[in-house]
Amino acid sequence: MNNEYVSAVYTWGQFAPEFALVALATLILMADCFAPRIPKRVYPIVGAVGAFIAAFFMIRPEFGYSSPFGMIACVTTALVLLLAYDYRKVTCASVGGAGVEEGTTELCSLLLIACAGVCALAEAHDIIMLFVSLEVVTLASYVMAGYFRRNQGSVEAGVKYLVLGALSTGLMVFGAAWYYGTTGSFMLSAELVHSLLTCPMTELQTGFYLAVGLLLLGAFFKAGAAPMQIWIPDVYQGSPTPVSAFLAVASKAAGFAVLVAILLPFSRLYAVHPGKVGAIVTAISVVAAATLLVGNLGAICQNNAKRLLGYSSIGQAGFILVFFTNIGATCLTDYVVNYLVAYMLATVAAFYAIAMVRTQRGSEEIAAFRGLGKTNPRTAFLITVSFASLAGVPLTYGFLAKYNSFAMFIEATHCQSGLIWLLPFMIVGAAAGFYYYFKVLREMYWEKPQEGDKPLQVPVITAAVLTGCALVLIWLGTEPLMFIPY
Amino acid sequence: MLIWLIIVPVIAAALIGLLKAPGRATALVSATFTLIMGVWAFISATYGGEDAINCWSTLGERELWFSLEGPLSPIMLLLSVIVTFAAILGLKAPDKDAERSWSIAALLLSTGAIGAFVSDNIISFYAFHELALIPTFVMIGFYGRGNRHTVAWTATVYLGLASMVLLAGLLMLCSEMRTYTFSGIRMAVQYGMVPSSCLIPGLLLVGFGTLVSLFPFHAWAAPAYASAPTPIAMLHAGVLKKFGLYGLFMLAYCMGPVCKEFFGCWNNLLLLLLLGNVLWVGYVTVAQTRLDDMLGNSSVMHMGYIFLAFAAYIASAGNNELAIRGAALLMLAHGLTIALLFLLTGQIESQTRTLELDSMGGLGRKLPCLGFLFGLAGLASIGLPLLANFAGEFTVFVSCFNGWQPGAAAATTGCDVLSNIYHSLGSWLSDIWLIGSVFGWIFNAITCTLNTISGWFGGLGPVQLATLFALWGLVISAIYMLRAFRRVFEGNVGLASERATALSCSDKLSAAFLAFFIVLFGVAPFLIFIY
Repeated sequence: MNNEYVSAVYTWGQFAPEFALVALATLILMADCFAPRIPKRVYPIVGAVGAFIAAFFMIRPEFGYSSPFGMIACVTTALVLLLAYDYRKVTCASVGGAGVEEGTTELCSLLLIACAGVCALAEAHDIIMLFVSLEVVTLASYVMAGYFRRNQGSVEAGVKYLVLGALSTGLMVFGAAWYYGTTGSFMLSAELVHSLLTCPMTELQTGFYLAVGLLLLGAFFKAGAAPMQIWIPDVYQGSPTPVSAFLAVASKAAGFAVLVAILLPFSRLYAVHPGKVGAIVTAISVVAAATLLVGNLGAICQNNAKRLLGYSSIGQAGFILVFFTNIGATCLTDYVVNYLVAYMLATVAAFYAIAMVRTQRGSEEIAAFRGLGKTNPRTAFLITVSFASLAGVPLTYGFLAKYNSFAMFIEATHCQSGLIWLLPFMIVGAAAGFYYYFKVLREMYWEKPQEGDKPLQVPVITAAVLTGCALVLIWLGTEPLMFIPY
Repeated sequence: MLIWLIIVPVIAAALIGLLKAPGRATALVSATFTLIMGVWAFISATYGGEDAINCWSTLGERELWFSLEGPLSPIMLLLSVIVTFAAILGLKAPDKDAERSWSIAALLLSTGAIGAFVSDNIISFYAFHELALIPTFVMIGFYGRGNRHTVAWTATVYLGLASMVLLAGLLMLCSEMRTYTFSGIRMAVQYGMVPSSCLIPGLLLVGFGTLVSLFPFHAWAAPAYASAPTPIAMLHAGVLKKFGLYGLFMLAYCMGPVCKEFFGCWNNLLLLLLLGNVLWVGYVTVAQTRLDDMLGNSSVMHMGYIFLAFAAYIASAGNNELAIRGAALLMLAHGLTIALLFLLTGQIESQTRTLELDSMGGLGRKLPCLGFLFGLAGLASIGLPLLANFAGEFTVFVSCFNGWQPGAAAATTGCDVLSNIYHSLGSWLSDIWLIGSVFGWIFNAITCTLNTISGWFGGLGPVQLATLFALWGLVISAIYMLRAFRRVFEGNVGLASERATALSCSDKLSAAFLAFFIVLFGVAPFLIFIY
């Protein structure tokens, strides 16, 4: 094979935001160690500001490229750090004992490091970079999931995540080895894939498909797609709520960034080799159907709000996977990113609500939302918007995201009419969503508050984030349906 | 400017919900605004020219996805604003909190309906209707009567599933025709881009049909209306439910002559299903013992007539102006009538605290005004001449015979189509199990029966035959409506009626407001069309 494919070319300047994020993380750790007078609650705020600034630098058209996945990760990390600030009471109680802030700062550093990992991942175009940055995310996540060492659920989540994550890492390494073995290169490029697909040696092609399959399994693990979704409900339920939010959004964005990186070369070749790329589309559509089914039907009977969001994240991943059935589309990445943005806004808001209820009512069950429509009507409305957006109720951004998923799929069936069998799975999945997301609305509006339920005190940051997310969701969901674009 | 009709109610709802503005008063201001604006829009669209229509679909420099083109939009807009105004004027909630939530729900429902009826973009048309899902769910679940939680879940799951089927159908249609607007469909038809598969119209009929409670997808509707708080029942049964029929008619209208090609393969099955609405649900209605259940079922039953107009429109390949006008008139009339009936039912319940037909009686002596209005609405619902429903139903029945010549052998071709469907369905199913042969047998039986019957009547087509059967529905509705009137208002003063005191001024006003329009459009139905 040709040598020019062996390694990708990166510039140092390209990774400036990532280095800055890691530097900030280190700085926070140092300050935590050597400046004990600084109150620990300052660090999440500092981290959040840093992540927001990094998000700003993620879209850099003046450098000739942009990294929307990295931006999603940075914004999520910033919001999650702010959530960690509001959640500090529970964090203290679960780490060092009630009121002791000692030992809570590492969470901020780990979040920033994981965020840097996702950002680097989004810019990777060879497998080594992909693997290393993915491991940065994953290793930080193992520690974060088990961060509440006084909480059995959290420790269980950490261990489960570690064991299952190690399996997925192993698969991915194996896939990378096969990839190198068959192509002689680590580059993910359309030319390479093209030369392999036209190569007369069919054994080589079989090995190549095996490599791609194993790499995809690793991506599915992160993205939460079947059959690699098993860890999600337990880990989301057990992890500290800010960490669950990070895993649900930033880590999922990482998974889809990997998926895009692996599949983009095939996407460019769709017009040349419709048959050979079609095999991959079939595989993806089977995975999408299974994911839609497992996520949406599994969510129906859940009573724990975080577990519900875990299953919901699987179901939503199914809808994102559906985009990849239209692999020849030119703006595939844009649609995936749009969906992730809609998902991010609604899911982060939902986790804020769960964290607030957990801090003040001591429970993460859906039943703990009871009577909010009476006691806190404004907050209840904001929570309604985020869950409605997840369910895909029109005039929220979530509807347009789901609509795009349907529209792209139907577009895809024009070229491959055999795909139509996936449609019933999407319909059932979307309809089930109305049921399980509305369970939260039911608790808020149908149930009366119990004796002694005081109105929730909404912290300023939570109020601001909930309002902001709701406004953006409604505006982005409404504007395109009212005005004809110029 | 149409955008104000959508934004103002939302702002009013936000003021009530988020800033604790007084519920009914704020909603009433918004409803008055939409009433005036809506009537103005209706008049300028019906009697003004093209310029008048165009100026409604812009906001300053920007063009909107909203338009008043086509024969149905202005009429449905008129219906929405009238019923919204009446529902909010007659709103009577048990307490302050309930009043606020009811007002918000009513405003959002009316926004959804208005938005759907004036949208030219098919996706916004769909989206605005869906907006009503959440307020309906919350309102029935929290304030409903009877077994409210089950009813709310049933309705939500039915509507959610149906809307997903509908979305799939609409997207497939749009993607085949390469356009996302109603006006675009009209253009695409001229270039011959009409999908030939039977799957798309099937999905559309199931999706729209469930939303309009077409038999056998109607199970959610009657309990939901019976259970919902009065303004929700008025707006949902009166206005929002017409969304499905409006959508079907708009698609058929925009397709013009090719609508027969498109929907034709399902038309005969549709005729059978709508007879299920008229006859089956009709008899179910007769058996009800509660007033709210009876009205819920009767509203399901009357949808059958509008579907009949749709089938006639399809069968005549769009060459049937009368069918679409009759349907428009009937949708308007039915919306007004059922809203008035639900409004009066709410008043009866607040007077007697029961809706069991057995425990009432003699209410007419205590409250003659209520009795008169209920009688008027009941007679309108039966289809008494000079009331709006008569004009609608009569036009629909006439339109079914439009273009039909005695002795023409339309029936045989119709039955052939039917048997073809049944055979294909049968052979498809027989791969799975024995059901296939049973299906095939039933289909053969139906086809033969239809052929025989049409032979007796000198070669009536399937639409005409269905019309003859549907006429019996008039008798059925006369039975249950008059019986209900007798049991509630006539006879000895029942225990429950003893409690009745007097109606408030706003009660009378809101009911009289609706009754006025029922009479107006009954006497002068031509007002809503340009002749």
